[in-house]
Amino acid sequence: MLAFLRKNQVALSACFCLLLSIYILIAAARGQLKNEPLGALLMWILRPLQAVSQGAVNWIADFGENYDTLSGFRIENERLRRRIQNLEVERQKLLEAEATNRQLKQLLDFRNHLPAGAITASIIANSAASWFQSCQIDKGSSDGVRKGMAVVTPLGVVGQVVAVTPRAAKVLLLTDPNSGIDVLVQRTRSRGIVSGSLENGTVLKYMKRSEDVQEGDRLITSGMDGVFPKGLLVGTVIKVRKQHLGLFQFVEVLPAVQTARTENVLVVAADSGAVKN
Amino acid sequence: MRLFLLFFVAGIVVLLLQTTLLHLLPTNPVVPDLTLVLCVYLGLYHPSVGAALGAFLLGYSVDVVSSRIIGLNAFAMSLVFLAVYLSSRAIWLQNPLVTSLVVLFAALIKGAALVLVSAFFVSIEGFWIGAGWYIIREALLAALLAPLVFALLRRGENYVNRFHAAAQ
Repeated sequence: MLAFLRKNQVALSACFCLLLSIYILIAAARGQLKNEPLGALLMWILRPLQAVSQGAVNWIADFGENYDTLSGFRIENERLRRRIQNLEVERQKLLEAEATNRQLKQLLDFRNHLPAGAITASIIANSAASWFQSCQIDKGSSDGVRKGMAVVTPLGVVGQVVAVTPRAAKVLLLTDPNSGIDVLVQRTRSRGIVSGSLENGTVLKYMKRSEDVQEGDRLITSGMDGVFPKGLLVGTVIKVRKQHLGLFQFVEVLPAVQTARTENVLVVAADSGAVKN
Repeated sequence: MRLFLLFFVAGIVVLLLQTTLLHLLPTNPVVPDLTLVLCVYLGLYHPSVGAALGAFLLGYSVDVVSSRIIGLNAFAMSLVFLAVYLSSRAIWLQNPLVTSLVVLFAALIKGAALVLVSAFFVSIEGFWIGAGWYIIREALLAALLAPLVFALLRRGENYVNRFHAAAQ
């Protein structure tokens, strides 16, 4: 017996890990996995590293976007080019500071329109797996962030907090297949659910064939899901297709917020009512 | 212990890359699954109880930072490790092409496991649709990067071993 165990210890330990995963899955699916010390420890280790790494990534992305501007100076002679490049770096810093300033001012203005208690946070990392559309923010339970809170920007809805550690939180984006946001078509007040899908991007589900939905229609939160305050922009309809059969029409949505280009967000509680105009 | 440290650091680095830098690639939203490549490496070159736990922890880490349901990737990674370990005696990694093929099959196993387990435990409507294309793209990307990651890990191991020998 002992010889058998020793001979097959690797396969047996892998099988044990499989069983453990299934046990965790069942516990998680039933909502019994409230405390994850291992997950919290991992987030605690990763958070500062991710913040630094994301800073570098943002710098690279900004540099890429401004490459065209920089390339225009190539025809200048060496001395002038060096000088211009130095000035360009300075200008870039100022532009970046100005952009950040503008963004934060927008966020502050928007915050005044939101119910009290909105928390400002920065996105520090994206999803590690392609299948799951999520991101992490640098505020956690010690800052007042709770599971189920809505994450928004002045442009619209970003997603919902699904896991919280003391110093960070995981946000499920509205483009994830798991997400579902109760929305209204602003023009007709028809209701539906906006969700992500692996096949078609973001879609508006359960919209009856008889409902009047047109390309360009704006979708806003209905406030009925108890997560998002009423009146926030979710996205714009970009494609409507009525199939020959079926109760519902296919509606594709362009999300209002492009998370890849978002740095700062606001976290708000659901029970705080509608957005003030 | 020194190899444990090496793979611990490698795990943290690939997680960091996957959550930040690799999202700049034009393949976004499909991100190369370097954690899977690391898991295959462990299964092929370090088949041990510690490596099995390492594969599980890698998957668990991906779940913690990405997945809504904890355990999905932990299950998939453990399955990949087991599959690679059981077939490792029949695999002779003589060139990068074979490495890529092994990782390609491992990624397909992982993708299939994710879809099946999601369908069973997390009844997301229509989650299957489009999953095939995601699996294939992710598998191809992982296979493409596998020889490079393997070479880096091997170099890291050599460095650690040489450092240890020098210290003694």
